Amino acid sequence: MLAVVGLAAIVAAQDDDTAIVAALAPRAESLLVARCSVCHSENLITQQRLPRARWEATVEKMKHWGAEISQDEAELLVRYLSARYHPGAPDRLPPLGPEVGAEELLNQEPRPDGPVAGLATRGAGVFERNCQACHGAGAGGGMGPKLAKNPILKHEDAFWETVLHGRGPMPAWGTVLTHQDIADIHAWLLTR
Amino acid sequence: MTAGQEEKVSRRSLLKRVAGLVAGALLNQRLAAAATGEDEIGSRGKDPLIVRVTRPFDAETPVREFASFLTPTDRFFVRSHFGPPAPEQISEANWQLRLDGLVERALTLRLQDLRRMEAVTITAVLQCSGNGRAFHRPKTPGVQWERGAVGNARWTGVRLRDVLAQAGVRPEGRHVQFQGADRPVVSSVPLFTRSIPLEKALHPDTILAYGMNGRPLPLLHGAPLRVITPGWMAESCTKWVTEITVQAEESKGYYMQTAYRVPTSQAELAGPVMVPVEAMVVKSLIAGPSEGETVKAGPVSIHGVAWSNGAKISTVEVATDEGKSWEPARLVGEDHPYAWRQWQYGWTAKNPGTFAILCRATDGQGMTQPATSPWNPSGFLWNGWDRVVVTVRS
Repeated sequence: MLAVVGLAAIVAAQDDDTAIVAALAPRAESLLVARCSVCHSENLITQQRLPRARWEATVEKMKHWGAEISQDEAELLVRYLSARYHPGAPDRLPPLGPEVGAEELLNQEPRPDGPVAGLATRGAGVFERNCQACHGAGAGGGMGPKLAKNPILKHEDAFWETVLHGRGPMPAWGTVLTHQDIADIHAWLLTR
Repeated sequence: MTAGQEEKVSRRSLLKRVAGLVAGALLNQRLAAAATGEDEIGSRGKDPLIVRVTRPFDAETPVREFASFLTPTDRFFVRSHFGPPAPEQISEANWQLRLDGLVERALTLRLQDLRRMEAVTITAVLQCSGNGRAFHRPKTPGVQWERGAVGNARWTGVRLRDVLAQAGVRPEGRHVQFQGADRPVVSSVPLFTRSIPLEKALHPDTILAYGMNGRPLPLLHGAPLRVITPGWMAESCTKWVTEITVQAEESKGYYMQTAYRVPTSQAELAGPVMVPVEAMVVKSLIAGPSEGETVKAGPVSIHGVAWSNGAKISTVEVATDEGKSWEPARLVGEDHPYAWRQWQYGWTAKNPGTFAILCRATDGQGMTQPATSPWNPSGFLWNGWDRVVVTVRS
């Protein structure tokens, strides 16, 4: 009887974790891309299997080292990371549900008439906050390729595809950047 | 949207919706690959290295590569905290080594100055302190290395003590600090600044290496110059070294005072004292057969490598009955103080079924690998018995 109750408790806890992950994933994955991938790729995070106290200590250390997350965002990340990457989680985790991919489609404002017009002056700031860590100041390159005068700027479909969905080590920015942001970055890159 | 607006939906929007559905699947695949800690979609088993972290690039060697005495450079494990510096910074035209602190004469050396000095070559194992971290229980934070954050190579360069002799170490100098040209993305992250005690720095086998396996040191492995501290874990083997400072005390800073430390064996009243990880511990690996392989009943050649902290390897033993009985393996191949020894064991697999092959080494100081290593909060110094499970078919 006790074994059945124990097993039920474990299963209930797992269901709680699954529910937490599903609820928090869109926002949490967005934060991981926008604030953490500045310094390192996501697989450094996803290979960990830590209890909550260690996730708290890790997120706190990252804040101390310059990760730009608010206290609320830190708490959300700790809840998410503890629910998905805890010591009992399997080595190979099932992929996150389609709601994470769908978020980028839901994230956009209703479309105006015609394509979005980009504003280069605004794009400079968006680039600096999100892209510069890898693509360098002035889009001169670094860990990521030089984007100034890059031929991809002329192939808008490929440009948007890459920014929205990522490529290789480049994360997918579709859950973080709006259409306006991407149009502004593109407009600014054309001026480099 | 009104009907008019719908008609004006741009081609880009339609393309994005279709791309979104396709890319959603790709995104899930990438997330899945990221979740497994591997970044090899589709080509598992054929890549020269197993990637643990994509950026900064941390990757380990598949254990089957340890069938060769020297680990080929393009299959040698790669580890750093920040990734390599920009190539322009360490090009021969731009690079220099600054040596100062508690010395009689501060020096600035170019590569050609080092090449004019007496060259030595040391064959030595390099291993990340965290190699095997994934096997500690409970799991600890950090890169989840398994068996391959280790390699054996020929390192060519100058003795550090010869360079220090040119500068003249002052009597107050007790530690030697190394700083490389690598930098974190964000300036609030501490630099990878670490020191070694003067005694290790003056050891004749501690070198500043500019060559690896007979060719110039590649970018990922510390070009143009790195420290090699044979017999010690590789966090002392600073890559891309540009500054050497003789000082009275250990380096300050996170990567010396907090990271790379383990509790001392004696418990203190106030809690364990944490000391830097220095010497390696005796360890062995099974290079073949591979995990999950099927072998035919009859003679099966089991082979691998064993090493310690500079002490000789006395024995390597193999068990196929979960460690109830151990049989000695033959030590074969080259024998150098800081390299690994290759070993070979002929197993007669009589019965079909699943078997765990275990190996353990004993060194000349009498240290033997334990079944599992003592736990420590950072998961360092794993040297538990290696284990490969194979299926024997008749």
